Amino acid sequence: MANLSLKHIYKVYPNGTKAVSDFNMQIDDKEFIVFVGPSGCGKSTMLRMIAGLEEITAGELRIGDVVVNDMEPKDRDIAMVFQNYALYPHMNIYENIAFGLRMRKIPDVKRNKQGGVVLDKAGEPVKVMRRYSKEELDEKVLGAAEVLGITDYLKKKPKEMSGGQRQRVALGRAIVREPKVMLLDEPLSNLDAKLRTQMRSEIVKLHNKLQTTFIYVTHDQVEAMTMGTRIVVMKDGYIQQVDTPKNVYQDPANKFVAGFIGTPQMNFFEGTLWRTGERVEMRFKGSECSVTASYDILGKVIPRYLDGKTPVWIGLRADDITLDTGGGRDGAAIKVKISHTEELGTETLVYGDIDLARDTFGESPTQVILKAAGFKNFQSGDVVDAVLRFENVHLFDFETEESILPRVPKYNYLTCNVREGSMELLGNKLVLPDAMQCPDGEYELLLPVDALSSGGEIEAEVLFSERADGKPLARLNMGGGTLFAPIDAKAGERVQLCVDLKQIALRRDGEEVISPMPLVNSVLGTFALDRVKAARKDGKKGGNVNEYAFVIGGNKYRAPTDVAQKMFAALSGRKAFTAQFRYEFTPYDLKISEHGLPAEVEKVLDYGTEKFAKCKVCGSDFYVCVQGDVRGTICLEPDFEKIGVTETEREIKIV
Amino acid sequence: MKKLKIKPQKLFNVAITYLIILAVCFVFLFPILWLVLASFSKTGSIYSFEGFFPAEFSLDSFKRLFTDTALYNYPRWFLNTLFIALMSSLIGTALTILTAYVMSRFRFRTRKAMMKTTLILGMFPSFMTMTAVYLMMTQFNLINQQWGLILIYSAGAPMGYLTQKGFFDTIPSSIDEAARIDGASNFRIFVRITLPLAAPMIVYTLLSSFVWPWSDFILPQLLLKNKDLYTVAVGLMSLDDSEFSRFAAGSVFIAVPIVVFYFALSKFLISGLSAGAVKQ
Repeated sequence: MANLSLKHIYKVYPNGTKAVSDFNMQIDDKEFIVFVGPSGCGKSTMLRMIAGLEEITAGELRIGDVVVNDMEPKDRDIAMVFQNYALYPHMNIYENIAFGLRMRKIPDVKRNKQGGVVLDKAGEPVKVMRRYSKEELDEKVLGAAEVLGITDYLKKKPKEMSGGQRQRVALGRAIVREPKVMLLDEPLSNLDAKLRTQMRSEIVKLHNKLQTTFIYVTHDQVEAMTMGTRIVVMKDGYIQQVDTPKNVYQDPANKFVAGFIGTPQMNFFEGTLWRTGERVEMRFKGSECSVTASYDILGKVIPRYLDGKTPVWIGLRADDITLDTGGGRDGAAIKVKISHTEELGTETLVYGDIDLARDTFGESPTQVILKAAGFKNFQSGDVVDAVLRFENVHLFDFETEESILPRVPKYNYLTCNVREGSMELLGNKLVLPDAMQCPDGEYELLLPVDALSSGGEIEAEVLFSERADGKPLARLNMGGGTLFAPIDAKAGERVQLCVDLKQIALRRDGEEVISPMPLVNSVLGTFALDRVKAARKDGKKGGNVNEYAFVIGGNKYRAPTDVAQKMFAALSGRKAFTAQFRYEFTPYDLKISEHGLPAEVEKVLDYGTEKFAKCKVCGSDFYVCVQGDVRGTICLEPDFEKIGVTETEREIKIV
Repeated sequence: MKKLKIKPQKLFNVAITYLIILAVCFVFLFPILWLVLASFSKTGSIYSFEGFFPAEFSLDSFKRLFTDTALYNYPRWFLNTLFIALMSSLIGTALTILTAYVMSRFRFRTRKAMMKTTLILGMFPSFMTMTAVYLMMTQFNLINQQWGLILIYSAGAPMGYLTQKGFFDTIPSSIDEAARIDGASNFRIFVRITLPLAAPMIVYTLLSSFVWPWSDFILPQLLLKNKDLYTVAVGLMSLDDSEFSRFAAGSVFIAVPIVVFYFALSKFLISGLSAGAVKQ
């Protein structure tokens, strides 16, 4: 019964292997979280770090409000179920379940022989720790056994039981202690298929009954989809996507997630997109056919992919490709040559190829799997028309494999005209502040969705509104152009918008003329021990006290104790003194002061409401929020409590 | 009934196998058999032996072993040996098991180096250290002391921890981890989980570390000068040439405790207790 907070968690083995990198997540109370990914993706390592069986290299793990990085597993109030059950073979089932309780002491008040409460001098009951009594043990063990239906086996030894029963005992051993968090490490992978399905629903029922936080590790995407309230898809130690099963299925963040979740695997085609007015034409590599889709569906696609040249991955699930039974829909059919079929009873999986010249049974980049109803006779080599449904199309960048059709777009891609110090944007005129003055002409405008907020001067009409990732998102029509903004409004309404000009970028001929204000300033430095004379109250000569300091540009700045400790923990002690770090400060956490980082002011950027000084600090560009005018050399005093520290060699974010 | 047909080739193979087994058995058992027969011989001197079977059978040698204690106090030697072997076995087993557990379960800086060193040291025969051991024992004033021997035996026992470590390695670490999460400390895990599971291994260790001091000759010969402190092996060697049948009787009798121990503990020696703990 607790929430978990995982911040920048890393696991690096002594040989340099990174098992988990920058794992960030908030887990709410009573959630059922599933870590899923191929073997070696770090999901089990992450779970073992939460359990305390594996040390956390860097980062912060909280259970409830307590940081548990250095806490023993037994003090974390967690329970874990192992893949191989890990029952105690020499104990019977009762003892197996009771073991955890026997190891623990519970608080109680001291009693005398007659059972009366012993009071101390102040009249308060004397507090003692005691073991569970036999009756209490019986009650708890029988309770847990009843929940799992293993009351009949309590006197048996583990080896006399079947795999499913053993796993139930392992679950019983976990729930009897009523832990805050239940951790399950592939608990079903040793069971046969039928038992697995049965235990799957039993674990879900158990979760509903216990109302506690579950974290479940599996490599089986079916388990992930059916059990989790949220899924964490991992690959090579990195989180690929964290979302509900529905969102992961419908809006995979990248090609890996799209291919990993869902059976049969999603079909990926290499192709191009070309927008002509309200239609988007898709061409598939290896196929003569081209299909068109309405631009309405593809409105969130980043515009530069719609040029008919940039290669993209077009992903369609087997369910979204159907066989044309005559007529066909307008412009959405493609020719497929059937290679073989798999009968599944209710439906038939048809394997084919969109490249009609190919004759393959194996993997090919143009292979397609689609679903047909019932038992149908297909001859291999037949060429059929397949109808593509674009409502659920997934598009990915060809190189990065990231989705280019995100649920929440990051940027609005627009064009604007700058004339006489103001910007003309979709029929509205915005006065550019001094810092953003640029030559007249036409620019590409990169307007982050988050830079828009309601309540301003420009007006737009809401075309469509939705909630994505818990935030409102509205598609707006402004002077004939489409915009996305994170505002709460109903379709058809007219809203007022405000643009945060700090965040926009203006480009011309591929060159960035105006860049957005960076939100972090970073500088390289090291870390050192700083012996200082201890000040003693009695005035005698004191010894030295060890203090730790950030060294930036040869100057030492005292490091807060908790930050120093985290750095030591991440670099196993003395290595912290030889490593190089990147220290990060936000523009708002730097104050102009008498002492601090020496900075050379280059210019002051005036954004109208706010002013920022651009300065050089040890060769790095720093932006600092300032009032009034500053010039020459100034001193910047950072708020070291809010510092960001990254070790550069292994790219580990420590704070 | 149908007559079983045996192929000549198969018969030949079986025959060869049995021939080899018989030959090896004969080589091993002949000296033992000869010793057992000699212990039942009436004539004592080694020079009176002519042929395999003794001229006359009697139990005299065994009787004299325990009654005629004026010159050769066999019962005393026997108790000395039992004491030394039992203590060495108990202390040695405790040390071996702990060493093996630590080497199997914990990862510390010098672990690999220590494992290699013990492996190399174990290759040298123990009597290479005789001089050093003798000098050291003189320094510690442990000559003519049973505890001196016990110290050497128990301290030397953990050198052969590799078998035990191998056994601990087969106990899945997830059992330990489950116990850790259940709230057990390292010591409790060792006592409550690992030791019960390692019962067969403990018995094996007890037996094997009992046998060495029980039958060792060189060390007691080197360190025990007082006749009353002799172990059986040293005592028997000190027997006169004319007491050969008594020597044989003493040698046969010394095998008794080992046999008893073996049979009493054999049921623990059956491993596989950890079956059912985890699915392999």
